[in-house]
Amino acid sequence: MRDKFSRLIAIFRRELRLFAHRPLFLFTMIVAPVLCIVFFTTLMADGLPTKLPAGLVDEDDTHVTRIVSRILGSMEETDLVTRYPSFSEARRAMQRGEIYGFFHIPQGLTEDAIANRQPRLSFYTNETYFVPGTLLMKDLRYASELSGLALTRETLYGKGLTEQQAMGILQPIVIETHPLNNPYLDYSVYLNNIILPGILILLIMLSTTYTIGLEWKRGTQRELYALSGCSSTVALVGKLLPQTVLFSLMFVFYDVYFYRFLMFPCNSGIAPMMVLGVVTVLASQAFGVFLFGAFIGQMRLSMCLCSLWGILSFSLAGFTYPVPAMSSLLQHLSWLFPLRHYYLIYVNQALDGYSLLYVWMPVVALLAFLLLPCTVLWRYRAAFLKYKYKQ
Amino acid sequence: MKAILNILQIWYNELTTVMRDKGIVIFILFVPLAYPLLYSYVYTNEVVREVPAAVVDEANSALSRKFVRNMDASPDVSIRARCHSMAEAEELIRHQDVYGIVRIPSTFDRDLWKGEQTRVGLYCDMCSMLYYKALMLTATNVSLEMNKDIKVERLHATTGRQEEITRMPIDYDYVSLYNPQSGFAAFLIPPVLMLIIQQTLLLGIGMSAGDTRERWHGSFVPFHRAYKNPIHIVAGKTLFYFFLYLPLGVYMFTFVTRSFVLPQLGGYATFLAFLAPYLLACIALAMVLSAMVYRREDCIMIFVFLSVPLLFLSGISWPGSAMPTVWRCVSWLFPSTFGMNGYVRIQGMGASLADVAMEWRALWIQAGVYGVLACMLYRRQIAGLINSSKP
Repeated sequence: MRDKFSRLIAIFRRELRLFAHRPLFLFTMIVAPVLCIVFFTTLMADGLPTKLPAGLVDEDDTHVTRIVSRILGSMEETDLVTRYPSFSEARRAMQRGEIYGFFHIPQGLTEDAIANRQPRLSFYTNETYFVPGTLLMKDLRYASELSGLALTRETLYGKGLTEQQAMGILQPIVIETHPLNNPYLDYSVYLNNIILPGILILLIMLSTTYTIGLEWKRGTQRELYALSGCSSTVALVGKLLPQTVLFSLMFVFYDVYFYRFLMFPCNSGIAPMMVLGVVTVLASQAFGVFLFGAFIGQMRLSMCLCSLWGILSFSLAGFTYPVPAMSSLLQHLSWLFPLRHYYLIYVNQALDGYSLLYVWMPVVALLAFLLLPCTVLWRYRAAFLKYKYKQ
Repeated sequence: MKAILNILQIWYNELTTVMRDKGIVIFILFVPLAYPLLYSYVYTNEVVREVPAAVVDEANSALSRKFVRNMDASPDVSIRARCHSMAEAEELIRHQDVYGIVRIPSTFDRDLWKGEQTRVGLYCDMCSMLYYKALMLTATNVSLEMNKDIKVERLHATTGRQEEITRMPIDYDYVSLYNPQSGFAAFLIPPVLMLIIQQTLLLGIGMSAGDTRERWHGSFVPFHRAYKNPIHIVAGKTLFYFFLYLPLGVYMFTFVTRSFVLPQLGGYATFLAFLAPYLLACIALAMVLSAMVYRREDCIMIFVFLSVPLLFLSGISWPGSAMPTVWRCVSWLFPSTFGMNGYVRIQGMGASLADVAMEWRALWIQAGVYGVLACMLYRRQIAGLINSSKP
């Protein structure tokens, strides 16, 4: 036992010496994650995008339509930047990407409305830009509803009703939305909590296969094997331990930054998220070890697979487009992505603060990843002794 | 004549290097061919339907049941459970059996009969914005429809037409342009196609440079008589990758778009006129960055994770108007920013080359600047080679 421990330390030291000679390790383990954290948190610092550029085509131009344009101007997410003389000019501005949507008031709207001829206004949003399109749609729709109601309200006031009575007629049922635990619809909370772990998982899987593969590439795999006392387990653990420590520290740093500094919702307390971070690091490393073992000696192939897997996990984690809306094959496939389990556990823990019992399945799945290397250890033994790096 | 022979020699060398290396073939052929299909398959359902929700109906009257029925009848929400208390409904959220709770207060009918406003609560789990969007829009729509009926009752219209006008004094139309079903695939896939082109070029050219370095003792220009003039090297490599990616671009523009019914308004000529500078800019950038790659596998570590920040830098998933100026300037360094925006406008919105003139010019400038930079880097390397070979 003591012997094993000293061998582990020796490999650990050897690994640190390797890191010191290669700036690439510094880049993937420290520079890249920090850069991504800074990038994404500053990009979405506002939380919810506001003041999205929109246009107005007012062909009627009466005091009533000017009220509508004032309503639009006062909305949080809409910024009426330009007025266009005609529909086609507004559409062309949309094509050039200057505005995300526009509001069209046809000629004679006021006259028709006063004469009870039910005029029709319209609004257009550019849904190829999903987030701004959806947010603008909400505002423009609200303004359209209001313009009709404003007309009725004037009539009701004319009949002598009070504001309370008028509102009881105009809007008897009011919907009060309560977005639980993210009341400001903060996109930074929503996206960064998953994107950044996703990038970390990708980097961890890549560095795992890269460091292991480097032994074969440099032809030093037997030296490592001898150093480990002919035990693949000792060799792999010693080799990956420095990365485990570094990436776990990165996760802890990012937890502290998110939940203590940026004050993202963390209803479970910060400790479970840190534990989740460490387990995720181990699970991704285990997955990397497994992939390298399965395609033994083919460093590039296993790295290709890791990158395809890592990039695909952003889709199959289901935080943007939900997994239940995908085809059933993909729903089953999503179990094979550590980020999917991280996402489910994060929602249960930090976002909602419920008991871990409700997500026992993802927890078990994430832990099952840790057992993956056991299935390929025997292949490593053969690889250490026989295989050579293939050009 | 000699120049042409040199260029052809470099073109041929690049071809053999690439085809020999399984890793490069995966990235420059397999990924651009298969990934678009895989991605489109993930998002092919486009929208989220039948989001499960629970109801706590404390009023339990004919009117409140109508509200619940209308919600259930909508395409986007499915009422899965009728609970007696909020605690019971919350338990369902914890299990992630439902993603929202509709709470109808016990005073629902009384408020309405008194002519006052009543408030229906909507509680959403914020694990996915699409769930929130579906629940909120449906609840709002149902309440608006019922409000109109109530309004008609209160205001005592006489004829059918008058009733209709009372319901809606000003009618409105909503048109979501260029993505009529507000689908996820139609929003995400087109820009991702362009991103795949840039990323795989960075990886492919980077790996081939790493390969050269490994075989020529650290020089990314081979010691060969054809490789004397940096302009010939840039031209030869560009020739190879340009004509490899041209059919891939056409494949994405036609086959991928058609098989997954993505928006397709762009003209062939416009697309090709736009693709040319995009490919040239990407290839030139890849050649510049490949000077940083020392080992074949290094570029996987450097370039793969960049895809995620680059997608956000483009201003397509995160609105450009809400982006800090620093990041907008950084985004101009990458062809993908202009490529994605231009392609989305051409293909998704039917823009002409004049509409994307800014992007088109920017890509030419990038191609020029990076091309010159690549020439300079190759020149320096050749000078270094000559110096080191002198006794």
